[in-house]
Amino acid sequence: MNEQPLHDLDTLRARQPRFRGLESGHRACQGCGEALAARLTTEAAGPDVVVANATGCLEVFTTPWPQSAWRLPWIHSVFGNTAAVAAGMEAALKQQGRATQVLAFAGDGGTFDIGFQALSGMMERGHDVLFVCFDNEAYMNTGVQRSGSTPHAAMTTTSPPGELRMGKRHMKKDILSIIAAHHIPYAATASVAYPSDLRKKVRRAMDTEGASFLQIHSPCPLGWGHDGAKTIEVARLAVQTGLFPVIEMERGELIGTLPIREPRPVSDYLKLQNRFRHLFASEYRARKELEHLQAIANRNIERFELRGVGPETYDTEGADTVHRGGDRWA
Amino acid sequence: MIQIPPGAFARPGTSLEFKTGTWRAERPVHQRRAAPCHSACPAGEDAQAYLAKVEMGDMRGAWETVVAANPLPAITGRVCHHPCESACNRAHYDESITIHGVERFLGDEALRQGWSYPVPIPSADAPRMAVVGSGPAGLAAAYHLLRGGCRVTLIEAMPAAGGTVRTAIPHYRLPPDVLEQELDHMLALPGLDFRLRTQLGRDVSLEELRTDHEAVFLGPGRRKGREWSADFAVPGNLRTGLQLLEAWVAGGTLPEQPRSVAIVGGGNTAVDLARVLRREGVEQVHLISHQRVPAPGVPADDAMRATYREVSQALEEGVTIHEHRGVRRLILRGERVVGMELVHMKKLEDADGRLRRVAFEGTETVLHVDQVIPAIGQDVDGSGFESLVRRGYMEVEPWWGTVDGQSGIFSGGDARSDHGTVSEAVGDGRRAAAAMLRYRAGKQLEPGAPPEPIPYSDLNLSYFETAPASKEPVLPPEQRLGLEEIEGGLQANAVRHEAHRCLSCGDCLACDNCWTLCPDQSVLKTREVAADGSHYVFDYDFCKGCGICAHECPTGYIRMIPE
Repeated sequence: MNEQPLHDLDTLRARQPRFRGLESGHRACQGCGEALAARLTTEAAGPDVVVANATGCLEVFTTPWPQSAWRLPWIHSVFGNTAAVAAGMEAALKQQGRATQVLAFAGDGGTFDIGFQALSGMMERGHDVLFVCFDNEAYMNTGVQRSGSTPHAAMTTTSPPGELRMGKRHMKKDILSIIAAHHIPYAATASVAYPSDLRKKVRRAMDTEGASFLQIHSPCPLGWGHDGAKTIEVARLAVQTGLFPVIEMERGELIGTLPIREPRPVSDYLKLQNRFRHLFASEYRARKELEHLQAIANRNIERFELRGVGPETYDTEGADTVHRGGDRWA
Repeated sequence: MIQIPPGAFARPGTSLEFKTGTWRAERPVHQRRAAPCHSACPAGEDAQAYLAKVEMGDMRGAWETVVAANPLPAITGRVCHHPCESACNRAHYDESITIHGVERFLGDEALRQGWSYPVPIPSADAPRMAVVGSGPAGLAAAYHLLRGGCRVTLIEAMPAAGGTVRTAIPHYRLPPDVLEQELDHMLALPGLDFRLRTQLGRDVSLEELRTDHEAVFLGPGRRKGREWSADFAVPGNLRTGLQLLEAWVAGGTLPEQPRSVAIVGGGNTAVDLARVLRREGVEQVHLISHQRVPAPGVPADDAMRATYREVSQALEEGVTIHEHRGVRRLILRGERVVGMELVHMKKLEDADGRLRRVAFEGTETVLHVDQVIPAIGQDVDGSGFESLVRRGYMEVEPWWGTVDGQSGIFSGGDARSDHGTVSEAVGDGRRAAAAMLRYRAGKQLEPGAPPEPIPYSDLNLSYFETAPASKEPVLPPEQRLGLEEIEGGLQANAVRHEAHRCLSCGDCLACDNCWTLCPDQSVLKTREVAADGSHYVFDYDFCKGCGICAHECPTGYIRMIPE
């Protein structure tokens, strides 16, 4: 333990061997998955980008006036029109003959629900924009209200478990199928638990001409009710159980998955989170909903053929192994 | 030019003005913790540290890390029963690292390449220390005193160095050329005055040594065979196990060629001798032991003192072991043994909770053998220091080896009642040398203990993949006839594979996990190694104390401590 830092931290910070798109000092909660996802996305996207950001946690915690945590051109749009703002910026840059890439950032509310029609239009018109959805599965900024992305049976302030329901009654919206129906060149899902995979997908999307879409599963310690230290573990379990399939699509067709070497039971994932606490009560309804969520995971595994055949280099076990001296694969 | 009204924009990166570190309730700190292999090593080697160096391709640095604790890795890599591997955290994951294979490889490589020990040349007026006995304990003590800048007088009663390592370890376990090379390598160190055929009490007295030296280390080993008789009958041709073993190791032959032999005892001497007799063509070799064959799950006080590996190889070679048996009486014809009466025995707790041996009446059996060899252990031969030996042992403080009631005299190795392996002797010598240096400097000796190891549960195994351990080639039992070494050692590629498998328990492996996964950009990467030995520093101005870095650290090197 050395209390006295040997390094001048300001100099060291300036010399980090990666692009710092999202700087320290932002006001995200401890262990915020979305802050990590945004940091990883921007460091992979590189400096020559402009960002349109929908209203939401990300916008609020990064830009408390008069400060900004962003180190790239960034504009705050209203909740519903991020994709439209990004499309306009893309058209303007194209008109000026500039190669700067356009990113659109939104939460799941700004993607699945409120921002959806602008997103659909942007994709339909084929703007060269990467739309990134930071999926934390509820309206966290306003105090954890259920969204179209909230998984079935999760507790939010507007889907409380009780006499009539075991948390959210409806299913999580299958946004990927809707995106697929737009036949855009590239769409993918990623998770903060697999940073190399995430960065690879950002770079790939940036290299793609036309609209691309990336959904990043980003745990929210406050809204999901888990220890902030376990953000990565929760995200990893979502992938390893099959509840959050990590896949890639081109023109709406599945082209790749992150195979699951040994699927874990969904209860491993659910029991870490308060929002699923009611599923572990000793009553028939709880057992039934647990089985229901397991069935959803099984269906994902079946549908996307997520089950690996033996150990692979880039499956859920191999994709993030560590090596002495860093040296991640992406 | 469009003017943006203030209030609608902010300058990039200005959030750095706001120190989110004030939110923190716990802070992450780098804390190197001992790997279980390190805590378990009787010699005090830090296997994790040298495996890291091997992985980085620095073989010489790895060897230097080994010899910072143990000057004889080529020897211990072969003969040690490697408790490090039993303790290895990877055993819970798939298989332990083959640490002894790496140690042996490094020892051999140093001899092949002629790497010199990192030991300074002592000055002319350096303090003088005396070491009695050039077995592993004495050699380790002398070596660490030299490392500490002393001049050392090392006396040995025998005509050659090595002690038990030379006289009682069969060549199939430790080839003589390896022994000679490593001993010569160490004994050539500057500042070492090595005197062979010099016996304490005969050629020099303990008082003389104490007068001429600042402190004395006694490493006499145990060489005096214990008195043995069964029912007061002693066969005319009685020889102790150690005598026979030493005769065989020195000359390669045995004085007699019986057809069947019973060895009484369950220690390494008994087992080594049993295997030697099998090699010499004795058809039936019986081992009579009060204890059981050691195996995982057998409590230590009910297991034979011989190591598991030796016993299992002896069984492979056709030695019969009679567990929980005692000798009730010998059947003699004249002065010659023709058989013996055995009885079932067990240690049971008596009313005071002490273990007592109980022989069960009515369980007697007769075993016909041509010869009986007691190998029930030896006592310290206290010539020259008779007053310090109690009940056949030296009584010493367990960590520093100070001898009760004697100032400036230290001891360790087999001379202790509780130690009987080469690596324990090396550890005793090392700690006693440290104690002698402190004694000279007039410093107090704080009570010592091995470092607390990091538990398996403190690692994050999500970042590793299973991989089978490299196994060294082992000679099949039917080919183990001569002196050929049984275990073949690891090749360089297998050694690197093992180093790569190491989980690096409790030590940073610079994997970038903390740097990659911090949501607050509060882990900064350094180009050169930071003051605490890692490649990262925490920026406490911004760290919110979420604990992701600690939770996701694969090696348990980061801990959260309350502010």
